[in-house]
Amino acid sequence: MTVALPRTRRKAQARRLSMLLGGVLTLAMAPLAASADSGSPAPTGSASAAADTFTIGTTTDVDSLNPFTGIDANAYEIYQLEYPTLTEYAAKDFTTVPGLATSWTESPDHTTWTYKLRDGVKWSDGQPLTSADVVYSFERVLNGQYEQTNYSAYTNDIASVSAPDATTVVFTVKRPSPIMLHLYVYILPKHIWKDISETQVKSYTNEPTPGSPTVGAGAYTVVERQTGQFVRLVANPNYYGGMPRVKNLVFRIYNNPDALGQALKKGEVDYADSLDTNVYNSLANVPGVTRVAATYSGFDEFAFNTGAALKDGTAIGNGNPALKNASFRRAVSWGVDRKTLLERVFNGYGSVGDSIIPPIYQSLHWTPTADELIGYDPVKAGQLLDAAGYKLGTNNLRTTPAGTPLSLRLLGRSDSASSTKAIQYLQGYLTQIGISSTVKLVASDALTEIIGQGNYDIFEWGWVIEPDPNYQLSTFTCGKRSYKDAGQVYADLSDSFYCNPAYDQLFAEQSGITDPVARAVIVKQMQALLYQDSPYIVYANYDDNFAYRSDRWTGFIPQPEQNGVYLFQYGTWSYSSLRPVSAAAVANSGMNLGLVGGGAVLAVLVVGGIVVLGRRRKTATSQDRE
Amino acid sequence: MSAGNSQTGMQSGREVARARRSANRRRLRRAFLAHRGGRWGLGILIFFVALALFAPLLFNRATLSVIHATGLPYQHPSFQYPLGTDESGRSVLARLAWGTRVSLVVGCAATVISMVLGTAVGILGGHFRGPVDTVLNGLSNWFLVIPFLPLAVVMATVLGPSMLNIIIVIGVTSWPGTARIIRAQTLSVEGRPYLERAKALGGSDTHQMVKHVLPNVMPLVLANTTLTVAIAILAETSLSFLGLGNPLEPSWGGILDDAFSNGAVSLGAWWYVLSPGVCVVLVVIAFTLIGRALEQILDPRQSVVA
Repeated sequence: MTVALPRTRRKAQARRLSMLLGGVLTLAMAPLAASADSGSPAPTGSASAAADTFTIGTTTDVDSLNPFTGIDANAYEIYQLEYPTLTEYAAKDFTTVPGLATSWTESPDHTTWTYKLRDGVKWSDGQPLTSADVVYSFERVLNGQYEQTNYSAYTNDIASVSAPDATTVVFTVKRPSPIMLHLYVYILPKHIWKDISETQVKSYTNEPTPGSPTVGAGAYTVVERQTGQFVRLVANPNYYGGMPRVKNLVFRIYNNPDALGQALKKGEVDYADSLDTNVYNSLANVPGVTRVAATYSGFDEFAFNTGAALKDGTAIGNGNPALKNASFRRAVSWGVDRKTLLERVFNGYGSVGDSIIPPIYQSLHWTPTADELIGYDPVKAGQLLDAAGYKLGTNNLRTTPAGTPLSLRLLGRSDSASSTKAIQYLQGYLTQIGISSTVKLVASDALTEIIGQGNYDIFEWGWVIEPDPNYQLSTFTCGKRSYKDAGQVYADLSDSFYCNPAYDQLFAEQSGITDPVARAVIVKQMQALLYQDSPYIVYANYDDNFAYRSDRWTGFIPQPEQNGVYLFQYGTWSYSSLRPVSAAAVANSGMNLGLVGGGAVLAVLVVGGIVVLGRRRKTATSQDRE
Repeated sequence: MSAGNSQTGMQSGREVARARRSANRRRLRRAFLAHRGGRWGLGILIFFVALALFAPLLFNRATLSVIHATGLPYQHPSFQYPLGTDESGRSVLARLAWGTRVSLVVGCAATVISMVLGTAVGILGGHFRGPVDTVLNGLSNWFLVIPFLPLAVVMATVLGPSMLNIIIVIGVTSWPGTARIIRAQTLSVEGRPYLERAKALGGSDTHQMVKHVLPNVMPLVLANTTLTVAIAILAETSLSFLGLGNPLEPSWGGILDDAFSNGAVSLGAWWYVLSPGVCVVLVVIAFTLIGRALEQILDPRQSVVA
């Protein structure tokens, strides 16, 4: 669920610095916390082994429990556990399936959408959930300023929302819009949130107080949170999908990937999310642990500054003019060995990247044909560069067509091990084809700023793509380039400053088509266009590596069906069916234990026998001597 | 006539001083070489300095590039790779050798900043006393009470990751200890009769500080320098390990940082984690041994050199 935030990365990044600073803060605040929370028990401890608590280990904390504030993937996992949405994404293939709404219809003139809600749904505190709550939640976003940040992508096309009766909601749309099938706006309890004003909501934590859990209508509600340590949820008996079998759910935060791996080994956690690939490798052959490298919806890319400009076309920044030339970018793309990058940067977990819609979304992903494919061929890259006028100089380095030296500035993210690595590989590949470059590493926040101003040549980063392609496709439209406000340049979504009227036209066309099949045709056309123009070199679709205690838990539902993720999905499918392994399986493992025990006894007997024999022989010889 | 006389007098004075100084140096060298710890420290240090100097001859810099890595990731130590390989298949030994250069340069450069700052503040405070001393002493006390690491972390974050910035950060955060020692020594030197004489003869403040106080506190500065280098190298390693150094410069701390962020611990790649750590420990021990030896030799109370 990385809708509103550009560039959310689920992948765990070891950030010892933040951990250190966090540690300092925690120490400083420990006395305060102790006095405030004395008497509140630790969440699980050894209780993790109990069948009614499922503990998930992660390396990133939940940034906020307020769905209008949080941007972190962990936070969205908790929101979707707490709050329902009108429709959901199927576990099998991401198609739209009923959520809180059981059915929906678009009027023949494409101007209104009518949703029928489930009957008799209750909030966790027993209050009825009606269409009034739905209207309230949408109006809060439509009329809000702050509330827009995370959800405007869904509500931009909505003109108004009304409730003719308690189980019907009607939306009027400004234009035909496919996003109406994916309205991921959380339905909040009006009776709680109406008391939180527009200004209060900015600092509202939405955290539970002892004895009163947060009110929701999803599978779980939050009962306890300790910043930087854990979030505890408890099953909601009023959940319309049926109360989940596992009573307690704990998200426990670990400071580094190694610690998380150890915690899983020891059985402190039941599920370790987003594991570092090396830690993942080290968990092979651990008894009781099953590892999964699931197909994920993220990719990493090298992005070019294709000519930084504002929305209105005013040039900004200091990008190298060579990169404005699509054939130059394509030539560079021929010089990049994506296969080695995947192997060395992601330990081979994932697939070689090509298009900006990852292959996990089968119906939308575009694959280049053999003719269209840009592979790894430094010789061909050199020929293309020669043809474009970038000839090799005396020192084996290329010069611009004007004869001046050519050098590119490469930016990597200092807070990401994979980015630091990948950018060094790129520098090597550029040297191979005669392009000199300098590498600089900056923090992610600083990089966003630099990109927005257009002061870069190439940078390394990644995106996580949601099932609806609109958001991702929009990042390459002219209208998403930076903008100026009060003399200051601000970044918008575009980070390559790609601007192509033909692309924009296709974008407008697809965003008005509500038939998924017809829309996919145009979406693929757009990807083909981007692939040839190469504003990005998408080098890897990385996997989500996780592991869980298969000796204790079973019943996960992967999304998508084929090699999908178990948790942190678009939806909460696994949580409803998750259960401890059956008594039969336990007996089975008991039998194994018996076998092991028997083996041990046998070994003792054999070794003992040998020792005794040896002794006898010794005694015999000594007696012989006498 | 009188001018000529005084000139010859001064010249002979200079000669006497020069001769005395060179005799002192010889004595110092002898005493140092007689000191067992000092010998060991010097030996280790010479080894690492040689490694740093000859790194370009021993290991081609190109092998440090990830795309020209010759080995496979995480290979155990072997004849070809005496200290194994890292996550990209590069020789850990080659990275260490090149890292020696960075670590030593950063350590020494930061120490120079720290010593110059510390000595200047110490002498100025001890010489002028009064309000100047109060301000300077207050400043060094202020720096002393701030824990080093958080201050360095904040500064390094603000300045950004580069070798120069790390040098500056360590330099400007590690001088107050030196300043205090030098100030104390200055106070004791200032109490000696010949300074009173210099003052009476109308010697300027600069003359007193540079010609009389500085040479007298110099041995202390020297001993302190070697100890500070050890601390500076350790600080550089810590900061690089925390990801605040320039990851593209192969310093020891940077290698440790790479090892930790690439799961070397979980995979049991001990050669990758252990070797930079051992190098740091050895160099720090070397500098400490040398520093302690110098301290013992130069400290009149311990009077190895009479």
